[in-house]
Amino acid sequence: MISFKNVNKWYGDLHVLNKIDLEVAQGEVVVVCGPSGSGKSTLIRCINRLEAIQKGDLVVDDMNVHDKKTNMTKIRAEIGFIFQSFNLYPHMTALGNVTIAPIRVRKIPKEEAEKLGRETLTRVGLGDRVDNYPAQLSGGQQQRVAIARGLCMRPKIMLFDEPTSALDPEMINEVLDVMRDLAKGGMTMMVVTHEMGFAREVANRVVFMDEGQIIEVAPPNDFFTNPQTDRGKYFLSSILTH
Amino acid sequence: MWSFYFNELMRSLPFFLKGLWMTVAVAGLSLIFGTIIGFFGGIMRAGRNKPARIIVGAWVDLIRGTPFLVQIFIIFFILPGIGIELEAFPAAVVALTNLTASFICEIVASGILAVPKGQREAATASGLSYYEQLRFIVLPQAMRSILPPLVGQYVLLVKDSSIVSAIGVVDITRVGWLTVQRIPEGLMVFGLVGLLYFAVCYPLINLSGYLERRMTVVSTKL
Repeated sequence: MISFKNVNKWYGDLHVLNKIDLEVAQGEVVVVCGPSGSGKSTLIRCINRLEAIQKGDLVVDDMNVHDKKTNMTKIRAEIGFIFQSFNLYPHMTALGNVTIAPIRVRKIPKEEAEKLGRETLTRVGLGDRVDNYPAQLSGGQQQRVAIARGLCMRPKIMLFDEPTSALDPEMINEVLDVMRDLAKGGMTMMVVTHEMGFAREVANRVVFMDEGQIIEVAPPNDFFTNPQTDRGKYFLSSILTH
Repeated sequence: MWSFYFNELMRSLPFFLKGLWMTVAVAGLSLIFGTIIGFFGGIMRAGRNKPARIIVGAWVDLIRGTPFLVQIFIIFFILPGIGIELEAFPAAVVALTNLTASFICEIVASGILAVPKGQREAATASGLSYYEQLRFIVLPQAMRSILPPLVGQYVLLVKDSSIVSAIGVVDITRVGWLTVQRIPEGLMVFGLVGLLYFAVCYPLINLSGYLERRMTVVSTKL
């Protein structure tokens, strides 16, 4: 479903993605972790070309993302992207936020899109909040609207860039619950997160990155109990003791 | 003597109202054209096409860096030399439109650039095209920061329009000049001229203040 082949990216002299090779199968949940600045956000931002790569191939759903001839609208429509800072549109209601792309990109009639929007907002537990503006919602509710916004496009893939890092602790679980449901429903997901409990529970594999490289890829239980590299051990000890 | 002149002045009132109408016509037309051109310019200035950004930026700097009186002289006296003949009224509208558009361009561009980057990223990620993003996501949010200074710019436009009297457009200022030759009470005549300008500008000033308060309240609520 997602295939990185020798992907490289530089910011000036900084080698932010260094020879990345990774295959993510349909229905798989991959958690990406690593110290800050390790390139994990950049990694998933390349998948829908929010960032460009300079070398290598990145293929999503049989379409080459970094080929100039590729229709990016078509790829992006299939990929939901969840930001750390939600990035809801503040001038639109929750329903407006989740229906704009289905109406404009998928060309779904407005009434149909609104029906879909209400259903999706209900699915993330916000059926009574459709007419609220983002500023009237808590952080956890805003992030769930953002997830609903992604889901309304009926995507094949959902990408999460530290979805709970900007949330107060008591709101983290309401977001993780929605993500657990998605994972159980068979959604292909890549999740950048420090929520190790979530990783253990739903991830098929954990990708550990440092300094732009993938250091380890392993099933969560193997990685958490028996990391194969010193950097992995050091990272786990530093996040588990904090 | 004073009351005689005052009565004379009152008899000239229709002449002043004609001048007022001319001021409103010149300023109003320039407002409409200047706003349209200014928005297009601002969108290009904040856009992704680098040559367009540079050209628009140079135009804005040139207009902001030269006196309006000089600009209007260039348009009215020098353009005919290269074969572009304009009457006083269209020349005034062209010059004022050009001036206003350049200022509105900067207001619009900074409003667009003030919208957080994440808004565009979210819209990009969901597959919206560049123009859909602009129309549905960026511009509606940018309008909050654009509207108050935009209306402020309209106030400046009305006042700057007095300079068109220099090329013979019979606006309120010109009417004042012509009248004061007959009624040599400068204070009285130009007092009336000022009052008429104020009557046009004051509602706009209030509107600008109202928008400023309303936009701040709304943006903190959202």
